[in-house]
Amino acid sequence: MEARIDPPVTSSAEPDAVRVERVSKTFPGVQALKGVDFVLREGEVHGLVGENGAGKSTLIKVLTGAYTADSGNVEIFGVAVDQHGPRAQQRAGVAAIYQELTVVPDMTAASNVFLGRPMRRGPMVKRRAMERRFRELGARLGVDIPPAARAGDLSVASQQMLEIMRALQADHRILIMDEPTASLGPNERERLYEAVGRLRDERASVIYISHDLDEVLRLCDRVSVLRDGEMVATADVEAWDKEKLVNTMLGTELRAPPSRRHAADVEELLRVEGVTVPGKLQNIAFVLHAGEIFGIAGLVGSGRTELLRALAGTQPGASGTLTIDGRTQPLPRTVGRALGLGIALAPEDRKGQGLVLSQSGFVNVTMTDMSGLAPGAIVRSGRRKSAAEKIAASLAFDPRRLGAPTETLSGGNQQKLVVGKWLHRRPRVLLMDEPTRGIDVGAKGEMFAVMRRLADEGMAIVMVSSELEEVVELADRVLVLAKGRQATILERGELSLERVLAMTFGVEGEAAA
Amino acid sequence: MTESPPALPPDAPESRAERGASLLRRYGGVAFRTYGIIVAFVILVIVVSIGNPAFLSQGNIFNMLSQWAPAGIMAVGMTYVILTGGFDLSIASGYSLCAVVAAGVGIMVDPAYAFLAAIAAGFFVGLLNAVLVVGVNINPFITTVGTGFILGGVTYVVTKNAAFVVPDMAFGDLGAGRWHGFPFSGMMLIAFLLVGGLVLAKTVYGEAIYAVGGNREASRLSGIRVRTVIGSTYVLSGVCMGVAGTLTASQLNSAQANLDPVIIFDVLTIVVVGGTSLAGGFGSMWRTVVGLGIIATISNGFVLLDIDVFYQDIIKGSIIVGALALDVLARRVATRSGA
Repeated sequence: MEARIDPPVTSSAEPDAVRVERVSKTFPGVQALKGVDFVLREGEVHGLVGENGAGKSTLIKVLTGAYTADSGNVEIFGVAVDQHGPRAQQRAGVAAIYQELTVVPDMTAASNVFLGRPMRRGPMVKRRAMERRFRELGARLGVDIPPAARAGDLSVASQQMLEIMRALQADHRILIMDEPTASLGPNERERLYEAVGRLRDERASVIYISHDLDEVLRLCDRVSVLRDGEMVATADVEAWDKEKLVNTMLGTELRAPPSRRHAADVEELLRVEGVTVPGKLQNIAFVLHAGEIFGIAGLVGSGRTELLRALAGTQPGASGTLTIDGRTQPLPRTVGRALGLGIALAPEDRKGQGLVLSQSGFVNVTMTDMSGLAPGAIVRSGRRKSAAEKIAASLAFDPRRLGAPTETLSGGNQQKLVVGKWLHRRPRVLLMDEPTRGIDVGAKGEMFAVMRRLADEGMAIVMVSSELEEVVELADRVLVLAKGRQATILERGELSLERVLAMTFGVEGEAAA
Repeated sequence: MTESPPALPPDAPESRAERGASLLRRYGGVAFRTYGIIVAFVILVIVVSIGNPAFLSQGNIFNMLSQWAPAGIMAVGMTYVILTGGFDLSIASGYSLCAVVAAGVGIMVDPAYAFLAAIAAGFFVGLLNAVLVVGVNINPFITTVGTGFILGGVTYVVTKNAAFVVPDMAFGDLGAGRWHGFPFSGMMLIAFLLVGGLVLAKTVYGEAIYAVGGNREASRLSGIRVRTVIGSTYVLSGVCMGVAGTLTASQLNSAQANLDPVIIFDVLTIVVVGGTSLAGGFGSMWRTVVGLGIIATISNGFVLLDIDVFYQDIIKGSIIVGALALDVLARRVATRSGA
């Protein structure tokens, strides 16, 4: 680790945008921050990386005033922060773009930007002035969103732009962006990068948190690494490369990538033909083998999710056939039928579709197989407990946390449970939509290991991921979708990031009808 | 403002033909969702007025305005409460209590003081609800059911279940008085709907109501005083029940406990039939106006068309459920085409 820690900057004329000194914060049982020092200079984009649980969120919440530090100082533009809560934080000029978007879906785009601070004459809202101002802000960020559009109808990327515009409108000089690209496709990411560049040109100061290290290296001026509540390194971006960042985050040398599947195929498990969803997918066909990880690559909107949903029996309007155990049948039309065929879906939206957030891990991982665990419709809590613990063990999930409501768990742990809830049923095909979205490097590695282990046990895994590197690294074969058509299926020998990329953008050849 | 047809996201990749088709589907769906309820209302009016042309006579409309003023005014307050995602089920007994306060005070002093006293009573009932809902943080549904029981009981205890009759005939001017045939109570109803609608659509406060109902956490993070906003709607609803109780007491020149226990269903139905979402964040005052029109037309139509009383409830229930089913259906069409 050559990255050096910056010496404390002394006596600069301009105060730094944010200066954090020896800040500590303890929660029952955990010291989340241990004497952290951190400086955000004015006009810089400062990357903040670290594994989940390293203390990033806690540090951010101290900055935004959601938490009070146990000890240490926080200064914003040279002024000590002593008040807390969102209102005080806003007065100090700090705006956070949260990972969970905070738009109000039923209000217009313009109203969302001015949320809480509408332009007004007395008690009246000046709607026309707001729309004008909205367009100006959009121009500053290089986006063109109709001000009267209902925010809930906009793409995730546009909704995020609304949040950035909201911060600009409030003239906040410090922006905290927490995983802003986690749910964006490649084009949308470029738009966000451009917007961040423009913010820097306007001398706004940005703290940029991301698990995508390439993005951090490309976008940031300096990068800081948190590990176990300590700020272990801060350095100019030139001093970093990806490997160095990962090693610093983990405190160890990079783990070896999971081994690719061994040896000779090939027991055909499932044959899919002619899958069509009007307006979304056209005539998709492929074969799944027991024990393989089958990747599906494509841009956002290419029909990836619809394909998984069609197989899982939850996509209205899907048509096509499945051949399993030598019997050909139409696609399942209900989740129950799909499960009967041994096909289960671990959905993309962990919180909305994957977990019952208010319930414990025990309940979540066993709810999919109540008939197996509750004979005669009486829940046997002992049986449920031991089943859940067995699943937890196979996922490297700390069984002591099974009792906690799942909303309190980190993204990585939630994702494990989303997968875990199917394990008691032992599906033959597990469909995984974005299994690593928004989880950190360490948890990703564990998720990959889990997927490989399940495959080795004979399950076929179908994974969809926006991270093409992941797909290429992990999958045995990859189906590439472009605009709802099957561009190709790449076999192991042909797999490379460049090929997959070229195919997803439709560069290489036209779709095979 | 929350209901202008959504523009297509600029990044939707579509061919021109697809775009045209999807625009049609999309705006068709949106228009249906937005204005379908008005169509339903117009059809209802046509049916009733064909059955009995007296329906559209000035006298009948004035009478309806007067008759529906108390429920309509409470629906204004309820619209605010529901837009924030809340409920106020205490209004039925609160309304009786306020009417009793108006009549009880009206027996002793000048009507103006009696009316003020009733409105103040409503204000304090609303404040109590607000404190329990956002101060103590009890679920609004159960809070207001509970306070409703308390208020109903208090009214019985205070009146010993006897009617308070106000001998002063001036007491009846507000509720029963008219200007060239136009009832004062109807004017008040229209004023409440207008002002309530303008505040909702045009002011910073209205903006905050939609924000809080649409996404509470986002509103909090944007610096909106979420609890104050939510609490204020219960106070508003309380003031509306005060005014409604006053009007009824004045119309009857008397008041008693348990005046109209099912008025709560009328009020909720008025708000919800118009299309305002019980989940909060979506809706508007014109929807409440349409809802009021529908409910009032149905009830009045029963009388004008001389429909057997046993069939009235069946028809009323069917129209309400039908209107909501239509709304849900329209939403499904709108979302499917908007995907």
